[in-house]
Amino acid sequence: MTNSIGIPAQAHGVIALTASACTSCMICVRECPAWCIELESHDEEVTEPGARRPRTVSVLDAFTIDFGLCMYCGICVDLCPFDALAWQPDFDYAAGSPSGLVQGINELESWGKSRE
Amino acid sequence: MGSGNTLDLVNPCPPGYQPSSPRTYVVAADPSLRVQILDIGLACCSLEVGSAITTGLLVDSATVPSPDHGTTILLISGTVTDALAPAVLRAWEQVPEPKAAVSFGACANTGGPYWDAPSVTKGVDQLVPVSVYIPGCPPRPEALIAGLRQLRDEITVN
Repeated sequence: MTNSIGIPAQAHGVIALTASACTSCMICVRECPAWCIELESHDEEVTEPGARRPRTVSVLDAFTIDFGLCMYCGICVDLCPFDALAWQPDFDYAAGSPSGLVQGINELESWGKSRE
Repeated sequence: MGSGNTLDLVNPCPPGYQPSSPRTYVVAADPSLRVQILDIGLACCSLEVGSAITTGLLVDSATVPSPDHGTTILLISGTVTDALAPAVLRAWEQVPEPKAAVSFGACANTGGPYWDAPSVTKGVDQLVPVSVYIPGCPPRPEALIAGLRQLRDEITVN
């Protein structure tokens, strides 16, 4: 099965992020064999009416994948408990410098959006 | 120490081995893009480059005659070790001007999965000036074509 760009939909092209699903649990960062994922977050207290005490939630500040280092194994995609990471078949993101292969939340969230 | 056990760091290839000379290809979907590829196939990435040829994304220039020779591209794919680095540098020096280097795959880009290995060069841009870094481990053959187009666009702009 191929999509509109002629590549199998499950191809290991690029890893896309759904930031709203990420809980900053750090499992992907710790399990990455290439150590190519960086994540920053901070904790906020959320007070809900009627609750006995405020809840503490992690808020995602930064999430980057260095596709210069990434070995495209998919361990992060497989282990994410909240399906915040997913493969997209895109391949056309060559860069003129190694730092151009480091992608943040905005780029990672854009993968796959154009074809939905 | 017998001569069979010595490793010539300047020419690490086995005695009698002749590296293939650069071959000229044309991007099938974009015949104006004409590239000479000296493919230093050091790891699995070279299979993807071969796949670009066998699937027809790259075709032999003999079938598409063109007077324009353009820029000669040195495509470096695979894991470059420090022992092999002089051979890569020598290959770059032998490429005729005008020339550009393209790094194909994570190992050539940054060292990739071997970023912490003492014997692996952490990116071929330590050896030669790289114009385009193609991501992937390994990248698809289509990614090679996309990277070559990007390089052509940069050359055209400059």
